Amino acid sequence: MPVPFEALIPLGLITGFFGASGILFNKLKTSINEGQPPRYGLDRWDRVMLDRDYRLTGTQRGQSHQTSAPDGFSTNSAWTLESEHI
Amino acid sequence: MATHREASLPTGKFVDPTPAPAGSAHPEVGATSAPLKSAAFFIGTYCKDYNEDFMLCKDENSDPAHCLKEGRKVTRCAMDLITKLRENCEKEWEAHYKCLEKHNQEYYACRKPERTLNECVFSKLKVEKVIPGASNTPIHLRENTIYN
Repeated sequence: MPVPFEALIPLGLITGFFGASGILFNKLKTSINEGQPPRYGLDRWDRVMLDRDYRLTGTQRGQSHQTSAPDGFSTNSAWTLESEHI
Repeated sequence: MATHREASLPTGKFVDPTPAPAGSAHPEVGATSAPLKSAAFFIGTYCKDYNEDFMLCKDENSDPAHCLKEGRKVTRCAMDLITKLRENCEKEWEAHYKCLEKHNQEYYACRKPERTLNECVFSKLKVEKVIPGASNTPIHLRENTIYN
């Protein structure tokens, strides 16, 4: 009896949609993180260092190994505001 | 305000517009987190005296204004080491910290570039990576690890 190829069509569709959404999600994550995998398991130290990196380089995940910081660094630190909780 | 908690449900950012007091501008380290993590053990060995001075000073009094002088010395020593690394081992350093950035800044995933960096720094700058308090063979010197 020949292989029932009609049964493989929904299988292919499911695989294709899973794969397409997976690839799309991966590209989204790497585009936000400038071509690198996202950071995970961040504690307060890591969040503060990420904020410092942003203040030094101007991009979210950019790294630089300069000796001294650019001139605006000493004055561009920011407090995060929150709305009033009741 | 070192104990200030992080903002929950943040709505924006506020940059303080008042100008800084005169004479408060000092050079700051320009390296971001991954290069600093890569050079962390070397900074620890190279700047041990200044770092310990600063920590002991903070132990006396945690007020930020109390330890500004020791803090400036720590910054200057770290900047000195970064200049030396840039002159001598820049390529190996870049390779290691770029590898760290790809792996969530975990040391275990980047042992190969770390080995080349350690050899370069030891041969040119005579600074060795030492893990204080390691009982058996330190993890960065072990031959057979899972992740290498």
